[in-house]
Formats: sequence, C-alpha cells, structure tokens
Amino acid sequence: MSGSAIARSNAAPKLLGFVSVLLFFAVIEAVIRAGWLNRYIVPPPSEILGSFYRIIAEEHVLRRFLFTTAECFAAGVMITVFGVGLGVLLQRYELLRRACETWVAALAAAPVVLAYPLFMVIFGRNAVTIVMIAFVAALPAVILKTIEGIAGTRRVLLNVGKSFNLTPAQQFWKIQFPAALPVIFTGLRLGLIFALINVVGVEFLINYGGLGQLIEDLAERYDLAGTYAAIFFVILVSVLFFMALERIERWLRPVD
Amino acid sequence: MAAADTILRAENIGVRFETSEGPVFAVDDLTLDVRQGEFLSIIGPSGCGKSTLFNVIGGLLGGYQGRVTVAGETIAGPHKAIGMVFQEESTFPWRTVIDNVAFPLELAGMTKQKRAERAQHFIKLVGLDGFDNRYPGELSGGMRQRVSLARTLASEPKILLMDEPFAALDEQTRLLLGDKVLQIQQQLRQTMLLITHNITEAVQMSDRILVMTYRPGRAKRLVEINLPRPRSSEIVGSEAFGRYVAEIWNDLREEASRGMRDEEEHALHHHSGGAP
Amino acid sequence: MAETGRLTQSSRRSLMGSVGLLRIALILALLVIWEGLSRSGLLYRDVVPSLIAIAHALFDLLGHRAYYFHLGVTAGEIALALAVGGGLGLAVGILLGANRFLAKAYESFLYYLGPTPKIIFFPVMIMWFGVDVQSKIALGALSCFFPVALSVAAGMRQIDKVLIRVGKSFRAKTWQMVTKVYLPAMRQPVINGLRLGFGVALIGTLLAETKLSNKGIGFLIVNAYSTFDMPRMYAMLIVLFALAIAVNALIGRLGGLHSIRKS
Repeated sequence: MSGSAIARSNAAPKLLGFVSVLLFFAVIEAVIRAGWLNRYIVPPPSEILGSFYRIIAEEHVLRRFLFTTAECFAAGVMITVFGVGLGVLLQRYELLRRACETWVAALAAAPVVLAYPLFMVIFGRNAVTIVMIAFVAALPAVILKTIEGIAGTRRVLLNVGKSFNLTPAQQFWKIQFPAALPVIFTGLRLGLIFALINVVGVEFLINYGGLGQLIEDLAERYDLAGTYAAIFFVILVSVLFFMALERIERWLRPVD
Repeated sequence: MAAADTILRAENIGVRFETSEGPVFAVDDLTLDVRQGEFLSIIGPSGCGKSTLFNVIGGLLGGYQGRVTVAGETIAGPHKAIGMVFQEESTFPWRTVIDNVAFPLELAGMTKQKRAERAQHFIKLVGLDGFDNRYPGELSGGMRQRVSLARTLASEPKILLMDEPFAALDEQTRLLLGDKVLQIQQQLRQTMLLITHNITEAVQMSDRILVMTYRPGRAKRLVEINLPRPRSSEIVGSEAFGRYVAEIWNDLREEASRGMRDEEEHALHHHSGGAP
Repeated sequence: MAETGRLTQSSRRSLMGSVGLLRIALILALLVIWEGLSRSGLLYRDVVPSLIAIAHALFDLLGHRAYYFHLGVTAGEIALALAVGGGLGLAVGILLGANRFLAKAYESFLYYLGPTPKIIFFPVMIMWFGVDVQSKIALGALSCFFPVALSVAAGMRQIDKVLIRVGKSFRAKTWQMVTKVYLPAMRQPVINGLRLGFGVALIGTLLAETKLSNKGIGFLIVNAYSTFDMPRMYAMLIVLFALAIAVNALIGRLGGLHSIRKS
C-alpha cells in the first residue's frame, strides 16, 4: 500500500475514535443536566473543564509537577546506574547470573508498592520513601533487559570480534554493549514508566509530594470537580510522558 | 600468475563432534595447500563440513586433529594474516560505514586522521564511495556485505577467508559483487580462500577448486581452472566454462545425493511415532 | 576462543551444584546481615526486627482464624475484579483483534491509558460504589482491564488466518468462533494477559484496601503500621509476596503445561 493510501485508511478510524470520545462526554453532560445522573457523584464535564483553570491557578500545579518530575528523575538516575550496572555484572559472571536471575524476575512480578507502609517506617513519610519505592519497583525490569540485551548479541558479531582477536574487555565495550543498547533503552523506558506510576501512586497514598498528593488533597476537601480535573490532568501527564519516552527510544535506537 | 610458494597449509585436519547419536566427523583427514596470490574455492554439498573448515582455518574452532600453518607458523586462534568475511550480516549497526571499516585500524591504535584516510581508501575499493557517513541500516544487503569486506581488507590480511559471503544475495548482485572481488584480487594480488556451494561462482573466480565429499568431509578432487585472466562475469557463457561446471557438478552430484539420502533416513528415524 | 563442545554430563552437574551452593550462601549472608542489623541497635527499634520475632509473628498470623477471614475477603475481591475487568478486557480485546477498523480507532487509547497510575481513581470509585468492598473490586477491575484487553487484541491478530477461515467455512456462529477457534488458538497471549492482569488487580485491590477499608489484607497491613507492630507487618508482607509470586508462577505454568501436552 502506498504511503498516502495508508494515511487515508488510518484517518477515518482515528477520526471515529476522536469523535466518539467527544460524543461520549457530550452525552454525559446531557445526561447529568437532565438529572438522570447525580451531579454530586459525577460533575458535568463542563464544570470539570472549568475547574482546570482554578486548579492550575490556585494549586501551584507547576510546582507540584516539578516536584513529581524531580522524584521521577531521581528514581530514573538510580535505576539507570544500578539497573544497567547490576545487569552488566550479572551477565559477566555466569554463576552469579544463574543464581540470581530468577530472583530478579520474581521481584519484577512482586507487588513492591504494597510494602509502602514498610518503606514509610524505614524512611519516613517523605520524598525518600517515594523515590525508594519507585526505585525498587522499577529496578528488576532494567536489570533483566540489560542482561537480555547483552546476552542477545548476534553470534556473528561476536565472531567478528574474535576474528580480530579482541580482548574480553574490548569484546564487551566495542561489540556487546553497543549491540545491547537498543534493548537496554527499552528496559529504561519500561523502568521509567513503572517509576512514574509508582511515584504518583505513592504520593496519593501517603498524601505527600506533587501531583499525586494534589488529588488526595482535593478529594479530602470534597472538591468533586477539582478531583476529577486533577485526575484527568495526572493521566494526561502520564500519557504524554509515555509518548515522549517512546519517541526518544525510537530516535535513539540506531537503524538496526 | 600465482607464485609456487605455499602461504597456508591445512594438514590432516579432522574435526569430531559429539552428537546425541554418537560421534560425527565433520571433516576427516583433509589436507590443503594454498599458494600465494591464488584464488582457491572450496566447494561441497550442504553438510560437507566446509563451514567447519572455515572456522578451523579462521581460528575460531579448536580441539581438532591436524594443524594449520600460515607461512610456516602454526596457528593457535585467529591469526593476524587471515582476514575473515562471514556469511551472515556482520556489519556493526551502531557504527557508520566509515567507522565500521576503520574498526581494525582503531584496534591497531591508528590516529583518527590516518584511520579516516585508510578507511576511505578501502571504501572506494569496494565501490561505496560517498557512503562514508551512512549507517548499515540504510544500505542494501549487497552493500552491507561490501562494508564487511572493506572492513576485513582494511586489516590488510595476507589471506582473505570468505564463507559464502554472497549466499544471501540475489543472482545478479552476486555476479556483480563477484566481479568486484576479482577486481580487488587483481589489484591487491590478494590470496583468497572462498567457501561456497555455488559452482558458477567458484569456476568464475578461482584458479583452483577443491571439491569436498559429503560428511565426513574429505578432499575429493582438486581442479585446476585454466581460464584466462582477467575474468569477468561475461566468461560465464563460454564453452570452456561450461565444461568445468559440468565436470565439477558430476563430482558434486554424487556427494549431494548421498547427502539427501542421509537426511531422508535421519528424518525417518527421528520423527516416527508422532501424529500431528 | 575455542568453541566448547556440548557440556559433558559431569561438568553440567557440577555447575548446577555450584549454583545451588551460591544461592544458599547468598541467602545465608542476607539472613546474617539482617540479624546483625537487628541486634546492632543502629536503626530505630523494630524497624529491622529479629528473625525470631518475625518467625514468631508468622506462626501467630497463620495460626489465627481471623487472618484467613481477611485473606478470603481480599482473595474474593481480586477474583471478582479479575472476573469483571478481565471479562470485559477479553470481550473488548476480541472485538478489537477481530476488527481492524475499530482497532485503529480505539486501541491506541487503551495502549496509552494502560501505563498510568490507577489508584488515583480511588476517590471516584468510593463516590460511585461506596466504602465497602465494591470500590476495591472496581479499582481492581479498572486496573486489570487494560493489560487483558491489549494482550487479547494482540493475541487475536497473531492467530493463523487460515484457522479463522476454516471456522467461517463451517459457518460457525460468533459464540462458537470465540470458544472453539479464537480462545484455543490464542491460549498463550490470553494466559499472559491474565498473569499481568492478576498482578495489577492484586496491586489495585490491596492499595485500595490500605487507603480505606476495615477488612482485607491491605487493612491488616495498615493496621500493623499504625500500631507499629513491625514483626507482624513483615510477616504479612512475606506471606503476601510469597502468594503473589506463587499465583503468578501458577498462572504462567497453566499456559506452559498445555503446550507440553500438545506434542
């Protein structure tokens, strides 16, 4: 199919998706106004939209956003350093890898965030707890992907290295590690997403921090429209973050 | 033409593998002399052990019987004088063409400027002038194989060892690349050892052809190709060419059908008893 | 440099043995460090309780009937969350997988809304469903809807087209197509989606319990936190994590076991 034909075949459904979402909100608005849906349980979308401005103006949204971002960034740096580092280490030492890899996989499947009360006891009800939970929850994904990437170097590339008599160190830095970068970036993307989800989630749960805390705050004040607006906003930020990460990963991934 | 001195000698090479059905000899008591400056092809049916031989001569495989000497020196691993070109995609996708080709020069510690100059020389040699800063992903399969070739040539090996480098390419590209390789051989007076299963390719390029038997791989026949040089893809149509091809096909056919029968028996014994 | 032949029997056995030994060594080291930290007085009391205290609390926990009541409540919530969210996800996934047009219209919504924190919807769930188990189930269902729907949709698309044509050529009705062609043909992706779904339903339900509840494991954990009964909290977390990992492995095995039977 030609490029323009594909674009045309995608345009119609995408339009449908977009329009149906608008329609959905319009219907909700109508239903609430008609009194069929209690507006003290579900505020009309127009009211929610209205409170967006109020929230942004009154609730220091920018400051909260930066705070949440800073927490994510801290967690991100930690999972990069420790995740890639441990991944490289485990890949290098076969025995260690065989012993520990299933444990890391189990940790990846474990609901780390459920231990947040424990983290609070250890670190207090503050940003350190939030960052630590995000770190522990996101770390296994990065470690596993790093191992996968390095181990998955194509045999022929290793043979090229051998045919040039590379030392093991050269073999690693000049061939295995660069070859693994695309998969490692995927791992980092996954890790960062987990980190964001955990950061916002814990902020909400312990009522401390930036955007997650905003929602909890508004809910406690029974600011219905505001709560809905804040939830939408946080979801929006999440989605944009995810999209941005995808873009970056695609840009960084060398033409394979 | 080729001088009479031997530059590479593989003596009584025997390679044994343990399989689930007991020991198997991939290569058995094979001896081969390669003369300086010559183009020698090794041809055989699938399963004749030619890729194993490639790995032995290239120093990637150990634990075999016999020995391989280069200019008198027994090899113990990949030897400096032997450059390998692999069958599969082997360019580094994260490096540009010029960085790929400059790889051996980088290892040798050459300065960036000199590396660039030398690498460009070899890029021109394989006909990829102007593609210096492209990534392999932007090139076609044939072009990528040329990059791999240039990279190996950049290490200036005495012997170029190639394992079916054109196998993944279509016939026309293969013929044209074959021309290119011949051209390079002429220019550099390079000794070349080519592993292939393609008779036309072998006859087109070689001074001599070693025909291998089916497993266990032994030397069946050594054929001298007395076609005039310089050769080009046009020679493919000539009568003498046809005769050589027929001769080699005769030898190969026997081995190839042994190979087919062997595979059929194998399939029969191993897949019986299972209904889909 | 030299390519190794196959690992001989004895060398493989010794490698397995060394792995086991290393694991035991690592676990022992961890336990020793733990106990050391606990007795050192470096940390505030009971943040790292003695292993004996934790073991004690563990026995205590598992011995009391009340614990199993709460476990049952939580398990029930998760099961219902999976039934609702997973069921809906399955239906939507099949629909999107079967229809290219609808997929192009709506699947990207699911794809981008999936990796977002769902716990923040909890205040809304409380408003809609009240403070009892329904709001927890709702949150769990919301959480697991997305991974199930996306896995099923992808699974639908990787079904060999010819199998679908066979079903249609026998004029199978929609329900029959689903149960006799689609579901069997995509067992692996469905099991995988179920596994992911279970993981997030567990998290969603439990986090909701920790936030606002008077029963369930989440409630017990927060209860232990507020009374600073650390050994009890550790014991509950250990059991919880062990169960979560076990169920995850079990579901995974469910998919694998079937494929073994096929050959």
